[in-house]
Amino acid sequence: MSTICNTRGLGVTMARASACRPPSVASTFLRLTIADLRQALLARWFVLYTAAFVTLGLGISYVSAMAAGSTGLDGFGRTSAGLINLVILIVPLMALTAGASAIAPQRERGSLAYLLVQPVSRGEVLGARFVGLSLAMVASIALGFGLSGLILSLKGGAADPGSLVRLASLAVVLAMAMVAPGIAISVMTRRSSVASGIAVFVWLALVFGSDLGLMAAAGAMHLRAQELFYAGLASPLQVFKMWALCGTDATLDILGPAGLYATDTFGARLPWLFSGAMAAWIVLPLAAAWVIFTRRSQ
Amino acid sequence: MIRFDRVTKRFGRFTAVDDVSLEVGRGECLALWGANGAGKSTMIRCMLGLHRFKGVISVDGLDVRRQGRRARRLIGYVPQELGFSDDATVKQSIDFFAGLKGVAVPRLDECLGAVGLAGQGHKRLRELSGGMKQRLALCLALLGDPPVLVLDEVTASLDAAGREELVMLLSRLAHSGRTMLFASHRQEEVMRLATTVAVLERGRVDRRVAPAELFGPAAPANEEVVLRLMVDQPTSQRALQILRDRGHEAYLNGVGVLVAVASPRRAAPFEILAHADIPVKDFEFVEPASPCMTAARSAAAASNMRGER
Amino acid sequence: MCGVSTVIATVVLFGVAAGSTAACDGHGESCGCEDPDVTLRCMIADASPGDTILVPPGAYHGPIVIDKPLTLIGVDRPTLRGGSGDILEINAANVTISGFLLAATGDSLERENCAVRVNAGSAVIEDNILYDVLFGIDLKNAAGSVIARNYIGGKDLDIARRGDGIRLYRSDAATIEGNVLEDGRDAILWYSTGVVVRENTSRRCRYGFHLMFSGDVTIEGNDLQENSVGVYIMYSKGLTIRENLLAKNRGPSGYGLGLKESDDYTISRNTMTANRVGVYVDGSPFTVEGPADFTGNLLACNDVGMTMLPSVKGNRVHGNSFIDNAEQVAVAGRGELIDNDFDVEKRGNYWSDYGGYDADGDGIGEAEFESRKLFENLTDHRPELRLFRYGPVHEAIEFVARAVPAVRPEPKFVDWYPMTTPPPSGAAVASLSARGPTVRTGLALTAVAALIAGLAFASSPIASSLRRAASGARRLAFRAGGES
Repeated sequence: MSTICNTRGLGVTMARASACRPPSVASTFLRLTIADLRQALLARWFVLYTAAFVTLGLGISYVSAMAAGSTGLDGFGRTSAGLINLVILIVPLMALTAGASAIAPQRERGSLAYLLVQPVSRGEVLGARFVGLSLAMVASIALGFGLSGLILSLKGGAADPGSLVRLASLAVVLAMAMVAPGIAISVMTRRSSVASGIAVFVWLALVFGSDLGLMAAAGAMHLRAQELFYAGLASPLQVFKMWALCGTDATLDILGPAGLYATDTFGARLPWLFSGAMAAWIVLPLAAAWVIFTRRSQ
Repeated sequence: MIRFDRVTKRFGRFTAVDDVSLEVGRGECLALWGANGAGKSTMIRCMLGLHRFKGVISVDGLDVRRQGRRARRLIGYVPQELGFSDDATVKQSIDFFAGLKGVAVPRLDECLGAVGLAGQGHKRLRELSGGMKQRLALCLALLGDPPVLVLDEVTASLDAAGREELVMLLSRLAHSGRTMLFASHRQEEVMRLATTVAVLERGRVDRRVAPAELFGPAAPANEEVVLRLMVDQPTSQRALQILRDRGHEAYLNGVGVLVAVASPRRAAPFEILAHADIPVKDFEFVEPASPCMTAARSAAAASNMRGER
Repeated sequence: MCGVSTVIATVVLFGVAAGSTAACDGHGESCGCEDPDVTLRCMIADASPGDTILVPPGAYHGPIVIDKPLTLIGVDRPTLRGGSGDILEINAANVTISGFLLAATGDSLERENCAVRVNAGSAVIEDNILYDVLFGIDLKNAAGSVIARNYIGGKDLDIARRGDGIRLYRSDAATIEGNVLEDGRDAILWYSTGVVVRENTSRRCRYGFHLMFSGDVTIEGNDLQENSVGVYIMYSKGLTIRENLLAKNRGPSGYGLGLKESDDYTISRNTMTANRVGVYVDGSPFTVEGPADFTGNLLACNDVGMTMLPSVKGNRVHGNSFIDNAEQVAVAGRGELIDNDFDVEKRGNYWSDYGGYDADGDGIGEAEFESRKLFENLTDHRPELRLFRYGPVHEAIEFVARAVPAVRPEPKFVDWYPMTTPPPSGAAVASLSARGPTVRTGLALTAVAALIAGLAFASSPIASSLRRAASGARRLAFRAGGES
């Protein structure tokens, strides 16, 4: 596959590029992805957030398992509600931070330029960042939910494995929908500190700002239930929550009139609607990031 | 081999590269020479596809914009500083970049030995000194034996000893049929590496000359050169002593140690001091007839005479 | 063909139904026995009041009218087919219909196409299978009738175009027992008293059982799930509703049990789970006469355990378990429920979100249970804000309400004697909470798989941080050693 030849001048043998086939796009992508995954997993933020996620998840499942133990009843009760809340709080913060640290810090250090000088395309670099970071998020979520599930099964909690896996998968989707805008932020900002600042701001805005703003708007402008529902679709956190709540029987009426409207209007198509919204949160920021990243000087 | 055809690069109102056309022939070693901001690095970054620009740059006939990936496969690049300082080991980085370039993973000790890093494969990048990192960068650039080597101020952030080591490595590479394009503002490097110098002024190529034309003829083989080595004050006396013990003509001067050596052996003082664990902060060449050298010599002669008496 | 079947019919009827049974034999010509439909009508016409007709297997077509007290027993489940109209009409008292398959009525709501129409008292309709029917069994002025062990499957129509599986109109002292109703509109009682509704099953109907202006009705042991509403009581009184399972009733109204302007009821030991609203109380008790008791019920995992309209007063809610309802008790609109008792004789209810403790071991918590959540208060007033339930803002609002007493709402109600352990509940719970070892094993396996996956991913950084920690520790130890 490759010939060994003398590197001129230094008198040593090295494999010669021109003599072997260029690496396939897939193998280059895989290499970049693995490197990015490795780097993400080594990052301090990852370890800290994962520790927080796992600890809180353990706490929630322990408490809810103890409470459910007395009656054996847990419908959409403490476990799921607690885990949903936990995911909504931590996963976006983690994913946005991850995304924000994807490009900007390396650009600051110059290692991004060094990477781009190699025979790789910028699209590959960006795509690999996204996939690598998403995989890191998968690892973190798998750890958190895995330990929670273990506690629940040991303590005789009432959650069933299917719903736990489902919740974890949705958490991964949410993570991807937050990594993507994080990467967009990272591509658009020159300085890494600014990028992480914006990421935290976006997180705050999504976690508290959007819900509070909508609630205020609902009060002030007398938004109808369906308007509230459509407005809610704009927030990936809200979409995650609704998706997680709509469960296997595809009803959202637990969310009051707005959920009822959604159930009546979309019924079995609700999951498609939600996946569409999430896909938009993944694709649009990535597309924007791609346009900027491939056009801009590094 | 490398063609710049009417290349212009603007940053806002500032024109960093102004309608430059330039050609580097196969086997030629072209130095981009000029003050800071003259456009040296910008030209290199354009060529590597890091900047968007007007005009055309091609490497071996490949347009760096439209066929950037293939063009970059022909280029080994050494930056001013290797940006990453993470937990990866030397071996892991070599494997990674060899993979990206699509070359078989080389025999580690040979390729590290070639740049004087033999046995360092297990070290993590953050444990390497600046000079070692730059030599690793050179090693990475040489993966796959690319026909073109591009160097961007590669010695700028090194101390004198590191600089000398790197330049010695590079000078062996420069005269081996490889095309080389490098930016530098050190006369010493240009003299030793370049076959041609492109003088840049405010984003334009002012002229192309031979190094000797620009700096005067290179020192003849046996000519004496004088180095001024900057060392820490407390170690200067010891440095002087060691150099003298090894038979060099050396003097202490307020700003450093002055050593006179024959031109081909001018690296020797660095090696001696490195061996003695005395870091050299900086160095410069001094005219043998310069006032400070003459003064030092006459002072020494006077004290010698006193000693003989 | 026809001749053969006539012979068989004759033989079977003659062989089995000797004695007082009417048969076709003596009147062969006048009955025109070539056609089974004609034969059946002929048998009915020729029978004397009080006769039993054993109807041989086969397919017959409605409408069939019975105008004298007869017992019709289907042998090997003969089919009575309706086509575009009704199937069976009973115009005389004391008629029994048993063992038939009644298939396919018309679908005209205007003509109320019906499988079994009863216009006289003391009818017994039992062990029949009715399917693809608009109305199933329709009793009008049929006191003392029994509807038992029938399966009644409605038409595959939009809910607005369906008919009632069972309808009683001014039919007192009827018994409805052991029937299974699916895909119909309601099982409804109009102006009927003394009716017993026992151990029926209902799925995917509008209202499992619907009472209008009825009285002295006992509803017990029924299993009513996946309907719009389990039991909806309107303008009725004298109700005993006990030990029913009302689950997953999540239609447009979505109540397990709804009470509208009704009086004198005892609701006990029922299980209401996974409904949109476990119990909905609107204007009941209406005149405040007789008891209005909710006791020993299990309300679990509903969106809202119990919803009351703000004007409601006089209910006594005690000895119930409220477990993990998204909202335990809601007021539909502004107001409190202070005119209802949530504890009786120093015994309240069990609340899964009660935070107090039982110091003296009498099963009663030492602190009262107050429902004063700000977010619930908001959503009771503006239900569309429930969209934000389970989000961080929900938690944040409750946190603020706890921390800042100024914004804390007045309690909706107070249970002064909350129980600290749930009282024993109806047998129905066992089936709901059955989480077998398979599920737990599955959960454990899934969890372990997830853990392994996560660890596999994270193993290299974990190893490297361990290495880092170890080398740091070594350095520290070395330094400490060097200093000492």
